[in-house]
Parts: sequence; structure tokens; C-alpha cells
Amino acid sequence: MTTGLHGTAEALRLAIQRADPALSRFDPLPRIISFDNFARGHCGWSQLVGNYEDDLDTMLPGYAQHTSAMLSTLGHWDAGSHGGMDSSYALKVATRPIVGARNVAIKRHTFRRRGPIRFELYFTFKPEATELRLSETDVRSIGLLFDLQGGDRDGDSERVMPHLRFLNALDGQHVQKWQYKNETTNFVPIGTDNKTVSHYHLAPEGWLDLPDGGQRLCYNEIPTKVNWSYLRFDFDLESMQATGLQCNDRTFDLSGFDSIRIPSMKNLWCMLNFALFAETDVDKRAFLYVDSVCISGDF
Amino acid sequence: MLPENITAIVARNERWTGEAATEPHEVGWAKEAVFFVRALKKPVGKQPKGRVEISPDGIRWIAEGTEFDMPSEKDAIAAARLTNFGNWLRVAARFDDGAESTVLVTLHLKA
Repeated sequence: MTTGLHGTAEALRLAIQRADPALSRFDPLPRIISFDNFARGHCGWSQLVGNYEDDLDTMLPGYAQHTSAMLSTLGHWDAGSHGGMDSSYALKVATRPIVGARNVAIKRHTFRRRGPIRFELYFTFKPEATELRLSETDVRSIGLLFDLQGGDRDGDSERVMPHLRFLNALDGQHVQKWQYKNETTNFVPIGTDNKTVSHYHLAPEGWLDLPDGGQRLCYNEIPTKVNWSYLRFDFDLESMQATGLQCNDRTFDLSGFDSIRIPSMKNLWCMLNFALFAETDVDKRAFLYVDSVCISGDF
Repeated sequence: MLPENITAIVARNERWTGEAATEPHEVGWAKEAVFFVRALKKPVGKQPKGRVEISPDGIRWIAEGTEFDMPSEKDAIAAARLTNFGNWLRVAARFDDGAESTVLVTLHLKA
């Protein structure tokens, strides 16, 4: 009987969700933690600022380059506004026009229970259209990361940072593959009070290929035509293991995946952070556009 | 729903010399904008005029017409208040040889 009631409730939940035009294109777990449609504003996606103490000069250079994400209509010089999937707006994460430059937008939560979470988004990427060329190898990568730590009473707490990127191009080669990383840089003290440290987890070194992780996405035929792609990343906060990755029609084997793992930190209990980033492979701005994000959990 | 407003940091602790500008920012959703330029360190040499620039595409820039004196002391703040600016905004300044300023540029936008 319990199973029957549960099944009925689940069927009702799915029916309601799929009748909602905004949510129907997502497959959320039973509880929606946040649902971000950028026609409603920035929805908490803010600039990842680096740590500092006393003086901003103490910030590591990888973070110092970051700027605020913006609300974009994907306005192009030749065709005007492209717009989002069902509104005029998308979130835009833009790098500076310097080879290797990177920018990160972050959303900071905490969790109520260590269980499964699901991160879904519709995204696209393009270089700034400064040349009348296809420019398909100008964006180095786009990616996501979580920044997680267990509760203060958990015996197994550590800081866990799964990182994933779609490496579109590297040094001009159109490689188009998914990668992860499981190491960060050494921690360095920031300032003089022995309260603040920093590390650069997005350093370019240490990215590893996912098995069979090659994927050719829809880039389209000139730099100002874009198509939205679906991405889903599943993670279990109890085991602190990745459990699923899907991009459009492909799912990927995560059996070899691992996260950056470092000792727990004294101020980060139950941390549940989500970040999105873009990197450029040339002296041209790279743009990650995000139409919408649905973050859900089973709790 | 309350109308959107946002505080964006478009330059933080950037040392400006020569021809300097903030990164392009898309602002088409906003009806009003205020730039604040704060000198984080004591400016060096003659401080130029700062100017607001607009753009049809985020790539090519022209003067919007608003100018302001770049801050001449540490922690001094210059401001420019704007309406009718299209989809793109930035601030720029041209420093003479030997002049510089390390700036924090804040952009407030309101729908």
C-alpha cells in the first residue's frame, strides 16, 4: 500500500512537473533547491571573488581576473539579439581577451541532508565575434564545479570539489572532450593573521580525460549563431561520489571520476556551492551563456 | 515581483595606465546605471577625465558624452549617472605617460 501511494504521488509529481512549460525540459529529483531562469534576474549567480586579507593585492591572480556575470540577450553585431530558449535573457560568463583567461560565476548554498543532488542546465558558448571567421577553436573550455563539505558532526567530513569541463580546444586544436580533475594547487597563507588561506583549484594543470569522453556539440556555422545544449551532473553527498553525467544525447562513464579532496576547513560545514566557468584559448573573450539552471535533490 | 537591480564589480584592483577601460557589460535590461570609480591606492601623476562609453555590439565603442574627474586621492570616488544607454556600457580613461591609478569600478543597474 505504501508503495502504491508512493507510486501515485510520484506519478502526480511528474505529471505536474511535465505540464509546467518552464520545468518540463528538466528531470529534477523530488525537491527543487533552486530553479534559475535569467529573465527573473541573476538568481544568485555572483562573481567568484578570491580570498584576501588587509590588501586586495594578496588575492591570487587566477581569482583577481574574475568579473561579475551579466544578464545577456546574446546581442550580435550582425544579427541583433539572439535571446534565450523562452525569454530574451541568459546568464553570461565572459573572460577577458587574454589567452588562458578564465571567469567563474558561483551560487552558494548549504545542504539539509547528505543525499543525491542533480545539477541541470541549458548552455551554449561562443567567442566574441571580433572576426568574420568560424572561430570554433577560440573557446578553450566551459565547465562546472561543486564545492562541498560535510556537516560539523560527520566523522568523514572533507572538502570535496568535483570539477568537469568540456575542453573544446587547446592550443588551437579542436579536441572536444570532457575532462575532470582531482588535484588542486598547494594552499598558501593569505595575509598575516593566520586565518585565511587560498588555493587555485582551476589551475590549468591536472585535467584528466573521461573515458570515451569525446563529444562533438552543435557549434553552428558562424560565431553569432548559437544552439542551446542540455547538461546534467549528478552527485551523491552521502558518499561524495559523482553518479551521472549527460550532455544532450550522450551519457558518460564516471567510474574513473574523482573529485579534488582536501581536509575539511573550519568554516565550511554543509557547504553546497555550484560554479560555472569559461576559459579562452586565444586573445579573445570567451562567453559561456546559460539559459536556465535547475538544481534538485532527494531529501 | 520587485524590479531587478544589481551591483556588478567590473574592475577590481586594476592598475590603469595609458588607454584603460573596464570590460564590456551588458545592461540592456536596465533603465538606469551609476558607475562609481574608487582609487584604491594613491593615484600617481596627473589624473585624466574618465568617460562613459556605449557600443552597438560590445566590440566597437564611442563616447556617450558623460565625463568625470578621475579620483585624485586614495579612496576618493568619482561617479557617473546614466539613462538611455542601449545594451552596452563601459568606462574608460586615457592616462599620460607616468600617470596611473589602481581602481575599483562598481556598476549599479536598475530595471
